[in-house]
Order: sequence, then C-alpha cells, then structure tokens
Amino acid sequence: MTMDRHEAFEELISASLHGDLSADERRRLDAHLDGCDRCRATLAAFADQRRIMAGLRHYAPPRDLGARVRAGVDYDTAPWWRRPIAIFTGVGGGLAVVTGVLLALVMLNGTDEPQVGANSPSPSVSQAPAASPTPLPTYPQPGELPDPTPTPAPGETPGPVATPPEATPLPASPEPDVYMAMEGPFDDQALSVVEGSTDDVVTEPETPAGPPVAAELSSDGQWLAFVSEEGLSGMNQLHATRVAEGETPEDPEATPPPDSPVAVGESVLLGQTMAGSPFLERLAWSGDGRYLAFTLADIEGGGTDVWIFEPGTEQVWQLTDVGDAYAASWVTVDADEADAFQALWVSTADGEVTSYLVALRDDTGGHPELIDPADGPLAIAEGVFQPLISPNGALAIYWNGRMTRSGDEWLFVEGGAPWLAEHRPDEEGGLGFQKERLLFSDVTIDRDAFTAAAISWGLDGDTYAVWDTAWTGLPQAPEDEYPDRSRVYFGRATDAGGLTRFHALDAGDLPADGIVVDVKVSPTGTHLVITVRYSSGGIGDAPRADLILVRRHTGNVADEVETLRTGGWNGPAAFDAHNEIEAEAP
Amino acid sequence: MPVSLAWGAPTVSSRTDDAHERAFAMLFEEFSAPIYNYVLRMVADPDRAADITQDTFIKAYRKLDTVTEATSTRSWLYRIATNTAIDDMRRRRNVTTMSDDSPTFANRADHRPGPEAQVMAATLDERVQRALQSLRPNHRQCLLLSDLEDMSAQQIGEIMGLSYGAVRTLLCRARGEMRRALAAEGFAR
Repeated sequence: MTMDRHEAFEELISASLHGDLSADERRRLDAHLDGCDRCRATLAAFADQRRIMAGLRHYAPPRDLGARVRAGVDYDTAPWWRRPIAIFTGVGGGLAVVTGVLLALVMLNGTDEPQVGANSPSPSVSQAPAASPTPLPTYPQPGELPDPTPTPAPGETPGPVATPPEATPLPASPEPDVYMAMEGPFDDQALSVVEGSTDDVVTEPETPAGPPVAAELSSDGQWLAFVSEEGLSGMNQLHATRVAEGETPEDPEATPPPDSPVAVGESVLLGQTMAGSPFLERLAWSGDGRYLAFTLADIEGGGTDVWIFEPGTEQVWQLTDVGDAYAASWVTVDADEADAFQALWVSTADGEVTSYLVALRDDTGGHPELIDPADGPLAIAEGVFQPLISPNGALAIYWNGRMTRSGDEWLFVEGGAPWLAEHRPDEEGGLGFQKERLLFSDVTIDRDAFTAAAISWGLDGDTYAVWDTAWTGLPQAPEDEYPDRSRVYFGRATDAGGLTRFHALDAGDLPADGIVVDVKVSPTGTHLVITVRYSSGGIGDAPRADLILVRRHTGNVADEVETLRTGGWNGPAAFDAHNEIEAEAP
Repeated sequence: MPVSLAWGAPTVSSRTDDAHERAFAMLFEEFSAPIYNYVLRMVADPDRAADITQDTFIKAYRKLDTVTEATSTRSWLYRIATNTAIDDMRRRRNVTTMSDDSPTFANRADHRPGPEAQVMAATLDERVQRALQSLRPNHRQCLLLSDLEDMSAQQIGEIMGLSYGAVRTLLCRARGEMRRALAAEGFAR
C-alpha cells in the first residue's frame, strides 16, 4: 500500500489544526495548499469536524458520583475487619489445591479417531452411570435451527444426564511445557519464556510494547508464536521466537525437523494487526513445524488476510489478498507418500462463510502469494468458517452463520455458532466435515446468537475449552447469564450430551475481578491452564496476569485450583505435541 | 455545575493524610465532569460511563502519591480513565445489543429547558455520536482527546502509550474515517 501525495499532506493538514507543525512543514503545506483544491477541501472538512467535536454538548455526571467514589475509597482504606463481608460461591474450588497425584493410571487403548457423539473410547473406570451411551442425535445441516435436544431446557431442573462424565486423568504432567512472563516496572518490562515444570527461563525474547495475550508452540517445540498488545493503541503485534533446537530423530530415515537461520533466543516480528475477536488470534502451526499461518487485520482498513511464516527461510509472506480471509488449520496431504505436502484451511467471511483447502506449494516449486483462496483450492467446505482441526486430525470445531464486517474484522451477526464435526475423507475421496452437531447442545441458535468465542483443543483430540463467549441472544438459562462471557466451558467431543451450561468451570475457580485471556487444555485431559488478567490503573501500573491451573471435577466435587504463578504478567501457556502421553499398563 | 465530592474531614488523620484528601478533592472537583464526558463519548452508555468514571477516581485516589511534579496530572488521569474504559470494552468485546431499549446518553431524558433547540441539539449530538461509534476504538479515542479535550499530539501520546509520530498518523486516519462517517450521517462535507 503506497501513500499518494495528497495523503502525505493530509497528515500535515491534520497536525496543523492544533499547531503541531514545524516551520518547514508549515511552508511545505502552505505551498501545496495554494495549488491543490482537494487538499483545501480536506482542510475545510477537518476544520469543520474539529468545530463539530468541540461543540458537542457536555453532560452532567450523575449526582451520586461523588458519593460512590467516596464509598469506594472508604472501602479501600477501611481496615479489613470493618469491610462488608464478601460472599463467594464455589469457594471450595478456590481453596482446593492440586495434589499432583494422578489417580487411576489407565492405558489409553482406544482409537485415536474418536466418533463424534459416541461414548469415550477409553475404558474409563470413573464414568458416571448417568452418562450411558445415547444414540447419536440427528442434527440438521449448519444454518438451520436444531431440533429439541434431551438436555434441560431453560427453566428445567438439571437431571443426572446433564452431568458430563468425568474423565480419568492420563499420566502426563498437567503443567504447561512453557509459559510467558513479563516482569519489572511498567517502563522497563522484561519478557521471558519459562519452562512450566521447573520455572527455569528458557529464553528472553525482545520485550514487546505490551503483554502477550495468545501463544502457541510449534509441533516440534522449536518455536513459540505469540500475539502481544501494542500499548493502548488497539493494535497487536505478532512474533515468533525460537525457543529450542530441533531434535534429530533416532530413525535415520525419518524426516529431520526443519532448521532455521534464526538462532535460539532470537525473534521475528511477523506483523501488526488491529486487535479484535478470537478469530484474529489464531496461530496455526503446521504439523511438520514448517509453517505458521496467522491472520492480520490491515491497520489501514484493507480487511483481514492470511499470512505465512516459514521458519526454515525466515520468510513472512501474505498468502491471501481478498480482505475477508482467516487462517484456520493445517492438513498434511498424502501423508504416507514421499511427496506429502501441507495444505491450509483458509476461511472467507463475506457472503456465505466458506473454507478452502489451499496447497502450500505451487507448480514452480515456490509458494502461493496474494491469492484468492477460491481460485483452484484442493477442497471447498461451504458454511464452514475457521475449522479448528483436533490435534489427531479426526475432528473439527467450526463456525457457521452470517458474518458482517465490523471495523477491521468480521463477526457473526446472524445465527453464529460453533459446530462439532468429524473431519475425514468423504465418499468422493475429498476431505469433509461430517456428522456435524452444535457444540453447545442446550442453546437455541436463532438470529441473535454468538458473535465470536475462543476455542482451544486439548492434545488428546477429545477435550476442548471454550471461553470469551460473545452471546447476543436471550439468556439460555433461567437464573444465570448463559452463555456467560466470564466463564470457561470445558467439554469432550465424545460426550454424547454435547457442551452444556453444566460444563462451566465452578464460579469460584477464577478471580472475580479477572478477565480470562487464554486457556490451554493440559494433556491429562482433566486440567486447564488459564491466564487471567487484572484491570490496570494508570501510569506506573504494569500489566498483571496470573497463571492458574484448574483440575476439573463434575457433580458435587469442587474443582481443584492452584495458582501456578502470580506477580507481574504470567501467561499464556503453551504445550507442544512432543509432550507425549506415556501410558502405563494397568 | 461540577459534582461535589462532599469529602468529609477525616476524624483521625495526619497532616499528610489531610493534604492527600485535599488534593484528591480538588482533582475530583476539576476533572470529574470532563472525565465522565470523555468516557461517555468512548462507550456511549451513561451507566457504564458512570461506573468507569467512579473506578477511575478510586484508582486515582490509590495512586495519587505517585504523581510527581514532572507528571502532567491531567494526562495521568486521562490515562487511568482510558485504561479503565479499555478494560471495560475488553470485557464486553464484540457484544452488541440488538435492542433499542437500553438507554444511551443520546436518548436519555434531558430535563433542561428549551424544547425545540434542545431537540435539534440532541439530534445533532446523536448523529455525531453515531459517527463516533462507527470508528475503531483507537481512532475514537485519539479524536476525542484531540478535538473534545483539545490535547496536543504529545499529550495524546502520553495517554495512549504512542510516539509523537504514531499519534499524528493515527489522528490523520481517524479524521479521514470520521469525515466519511459524518458524511454518512448527512453532514455536508
């Protein structure tokens, strides 16, 4: 995007309105204005605009504002024994501490391709009797309203079927492989990547202008991609930091991990984007660690497009040039063949949402650049937006509904909802999304529904977490706000009952004054690692976030909660696919 | 008319505490109305604006001791307000109500005299606010600080955590976006 000569002068015109020009700039602007009708019109329009803004009416604050402030200050300054008693719900979960003891080590001998709606493939010994196998319900095609489900309707008392089965923890560490931490005074912050099990600093990347809010490790554990806020500008930056060397495989015929000219500890700035919904914060590493796909919302209003980072060459390039494209997930095509290659699901938002499977190679041996994903894709999935493929490739959670442009990004405005489906070859040999069903089984998707939500798969390919649910419809529970933006929902694809309001973490698990920034599902399948940020004050306040580990229980058993790290900014956490589950024989 | 804090004299206090209380009372007296209006224009909801203004001054009370001679008190307070408003917007990110029932500052009853002029003024105000609401939050923020609060690029940079050059660029983009938004609302240019 190049700036024309008028645009260059528009910045001077804007600055001239409050005398922010140097003498040289003033002379250049005056000389230009003498001969340019367009820029004189711009000056007049900007000056009018300033007059209109300055003339906006002023409203009196509420009369009780002073009293409210005083009450707040009095509360703060009163000794604790004189403060009103705060009432907490679900306090038991908040007080419990993860013991670190993993119970009932069970060999996971099921298939790694679970069937949606079927019961858990693992011979779980702790499965609740109420969660007996139920027939797979017939769900409509995406976009239609669902038939009534057996889950409790608003106003009904939850029956035992509403209690999801409790998963048996697998013998893996619930703690993250790494997490990010930012410490120090607000004007001298230092970022580090820390090993989750030891709290040892792995590397100290260049510190960005704001805290990290999303992070993903590459599947080979060599790279950590992350999104950081850029001050209070409403923009984010994307980075990739090399955190480890690739491990040489023992099998001499195995493909070695991709090397990179970037040394361990060094970072690559991937781009700048407008901050927005979770759809924009997707960081998708290919299964072989060769590519990272991400989405940038053009800060100059060009919409959203997909970009690729290739660690092996240190190249960052723009894959799409359509203004409504989002990065989704990777697929290895012809995985068993010598010429296997990577393909990316790219979703477009304008019109009917559609996903296109785009090959990351072209006939010349180079890579595709500035493409329209609709031109010659390997596969097309209509009515599918941003499919998040499970780590084992068998399942997908995708979005359906009608989107519209909102500022620099796209959000659902009609019938927006996440769906769960199997992701497997169809009858014609292509890839498809089959046996789809609404992810939330107890919400009615009407015109007003979800605008967005954040979703994260567990490495087991079965568990998933949903948070930051932006719901615009009527509340779906009689007494509670549901779906509730402040709650985290933790479900399993193999749970026949689907995701319901009873899958929310206990209300007391997370601090009431915190905002959930990121959630990762631990390989145990029962733990979540949650980054919770706190409101910041003014100058002098460094950003704060805690890293919290929650072990999920269901029924009347409170969740177990442990603050892994507090003080400064802690999180997000990340797991890599190498954190393999070493099952022991029963 | 500024809202009075009606700050009672502390029953037990040191001289330092008294000075702190007096300084805060003056701060509230001078800035409560401007901060409320700035936040109101940011979030377009009087109840949220009141909550955010309240939180802003409670935070300011806690941190008042950190204000130094070199620090611009006004920039400092606006930065707290901006942070608090952004936190609030972040909590509500992307949630837009489809209902017209919830009161906005523009359709809330105004009890001041002068019916016809007031109606016309409210209409103009409503159109400008609609244009403002269509802007990206950072554009709206810097435009309000510049044109409503009459701050310089340097001051805006202190509040938004941006360099002088970045503020000038952002402000120019915001003006361009606002120009289009005002045109869509029927303003002549």
